[in-house]
Amino acid sequence: MDTFDVQLYIYDLSRGLARQMSLPLLGRRIDGIWHTAIVVYGQEFFFGGNGIESCLPGGTVLGQPDRVINLGNTQVTEDIFIPYLAGLGESQFCGSRYQLLHYNCNTFSNEVAQFLTGNEVPSYITNLPSEVLNTPFGQMLGPMLESVRVSPGGTNPGTHNPN
Amino acid sequence: MAEQGEGVPAGSIRVTVKTPKSKEDFVIDENATVKEFKVEIGKRFKAQHEQLVLIFAGKILKDPDSLTHHGIKDGLTVHLVIKTQGRSTEQSTKSEAAEPSGSGQSTSSQQSTTTAEVPSSPSTGTFPLSGFGNLASLGSLGLGSSNFVELQQQMQRQLLANPELLSQIMENPLVQSMMANPEMMRQLLMANPQMQQLMERNPEITHMLNNPELLRQTMELARNPAMLQEMMRNQDRALSNLESIPGGYNALRRMYTDIQEPMLSAAQEQFGGNPFASLLSSNSAPMAGQGDVPVDSNLQPSRTENREPLPNPWAPQGSGSEGRARVPGSSTTATTAGGSTAQVTPSISNPLGVSAGTATGPFGMQPLMQQISENPQLVQNMLGAPYMRTVMQALALNPQLAEQIFLSSPMFEGNSQLREQMRLQLPVFLQQMQNPDVLSAMTNPRAMQALMQIQQGLQTLAQEVPGLMPGLVPGGIPGMPVPTASETPATQSDSSPSGVPNPPAPPTSLGSTDGTATPSVPSSAVQQEFMQQMLQALAGMTATQPTQMPEMRFRMQLNQLQAMGFVNREANIQALIATGGDINAAIERLLNS
Repeated sequence: MDTFDVQLYIYDLSRGLARQMSLPLLGRRIDGIWHTAIVVYGQEFFFGGNGIESCLPGGTVLGQPDRVINLGNTQVTEDIFIPYLAGLGESQFCGSRYQLLHYNCNTFSNEVAQFLTGNEVPSYITNLPSEVLNTPFGQMLGPMLESVRVSPGGTNPGTHNPN
Repeated sequence: MAEQGEGVPAGSIRVTVKTPKSKEDFVIDENATVKEFKVEIGKRFKAQHEQLVLIFAGKILKDPDSLTHHGIKDGLTVHLVIKTQGRSTEQSTKSEAAEPSGSGQSTSSQQSTTTAEVPSSPSTGTFPLSGFGNLASLGSLGLGSSNFVELQQQMQRQLLANPELLSQIMENPLVQSMMANPEMMRQLLMANPQMQQLMERNPEITHMLNNPELLRQTMELARNPAMLQEMMRNQDRALSNLESIPGGYNALRRMYTDIQEPMLSAAQEQFGGNPFASLLSSNSAPMAGQGDVPVDSNLQPSRTENREPLPNPWAPQGSGSEGRARVPGSSTTATTAGGSTAQVTPSISNPLGVSAGTATGPFGMQPLMQQISENPQLVQNMLGAPYMRTVMQALALNPQLAEQIFLSSPMFEGNSQLREQMRLQLPVFLQQMQNPDVLSAMTNPRAMQALMQIQQGLQTLAQEVPGLMPGLVPGGIPGMPVPTASETPATQSDSSPSGVPNPPAPPTSLGSTDGTATPSVPSSAVQQEFMQQMLQALAGMTATQPTQMPEMRFRMQLNQLQAMGFVNREANIQALIATGGDINAAIERLLNS
């Protein structure tokens, strides 16, 4: 059966600033503010304030990813994946459910990664929000951050975005 | 399989089934097959088990498999997707969406490879020389993107779509003078990667390019549209003669299908209707063994009526055309031999023809600099374009060629002294264009603004105290071209590259902003000399290397080279310039050339 490669594109939203300033600000070192997207079938899928979106790999305003991880192969074909995404978008991952700290792009990437390959997204990414919130500074910022939404626009808004 | 509330029957496992919308737990026998599992699931989810797709660890679970085969154990999660009717529509929209993007990419890549070196090279050739003004105005049209290569492709597309544009470009004297030099044409053509691709595919093209005679004829043909039409008409006539010969029609047909068609279709698929494809195949056809009969791939155009009036054979330039008319069946060689005298009068007022589609702003220096300073990306793109470098290098290596090109523009026609100065400055200018500092200065908007301020300051100075700097008399110094608001055409375009890289060069363009038509000549040789020295001094400040005459600089190396036996002083100097004074590299260069 055909298999498709599944990759995880990891972007640092802070463009390196987190690595430099996290220590003095937060008291612990954070290498980046990670935004992730799943790349499969030659497209990049991610979850943001507007729901699930897709574009060409590296096609968001964030440009090329800082890191790329191979999550493995999947036998799931595109014509199974897309309805699956549609279902997700209607239920668990509609745009209104987006929360910067608790239910964000990485949550989505994790979910999709497990669906496609059975592997999870590395823990340093999914644990980031809790790491930040455990710092005093993070706790101060916490409530403010709740209202922020990150949605790096793609060049090609997904056709399967039910929103 | 009874499902109990709490305890799990022995041999059963609890598996979570997750759908996009929900999650359910199932208890199932660990030795069950996937099919049985699906049946169970189907009952709970109210779907047919055929509609269910189960996924675990990235694998799609097939019906005959067993759960243990896939390693599904107690407590693990399996994903489920229910195939519904909606899937097919989604799939089709998706594939539709994928189609245009895919085809879009392929058409652009098709159009980017050009078969007609002749019409494409003017566009590639004119681009670096067409100056910033045209380029910036093109960009402002919204035609081009910030990507220069794309701009060029669009330009080519436009050219194709609009043959008038092409003829206008051809008429431009700059283009014509460039095409008069076969060597340069050849270099330009070869440097174009698309051309190289093409050459690999069609060896006839390589033959054609390597045959200088043929190349020259091709270029003359291209240069002279009237001659081209005449030639085509001759071929039309020959062809119709041929048709009337018994068996001739079949021969023609064979010719067409065997030779011309694949070439034409190759040309068309790459270029979408190349007006010069006929030229290409007709020039290479003689190799197919049809010596005396020209392969008229103009079979296509000949089917349409030729409505153009034949050139007047008794007109003053008729000596050539008479000769042409007398040789109907001759091959290209004979026709072009006679007709090279016919020249199309250069249209001075036509700035490269590009303006046919562009907004032509005033071609002064001011708006030019403004555009540059506003859009550094544009300049960077332009300078970074691969063939730009090639052209620059080619020009730097061959100052005579550069001289020809730059000096043949009509701007210098009225002013021989300007020409002189320009000529002398040319090697300096070319080197400066390759100087990365200069390039970065050009791309830096603040630097450009500073330059403009300097220019304005000097202008004021010249007006207020004309006696202070006698050299600043409005005698267009090549440093800064004359920005006459009115006439002189966009061949400021080619002098502007000269102007810009001499940044602090005293912009003596000044006086001419009063509106004087032509720059008045500096009144004395002394002034000229002074200007030149000042220019060189200023240029020397910006350039990283001293701009003395290369002979002075490389005196030592020259002597060494001559002692070794390289007697050609000119070649030595050029090699030394190219290698920056490195003797060993210069020797290699000389040996390899």
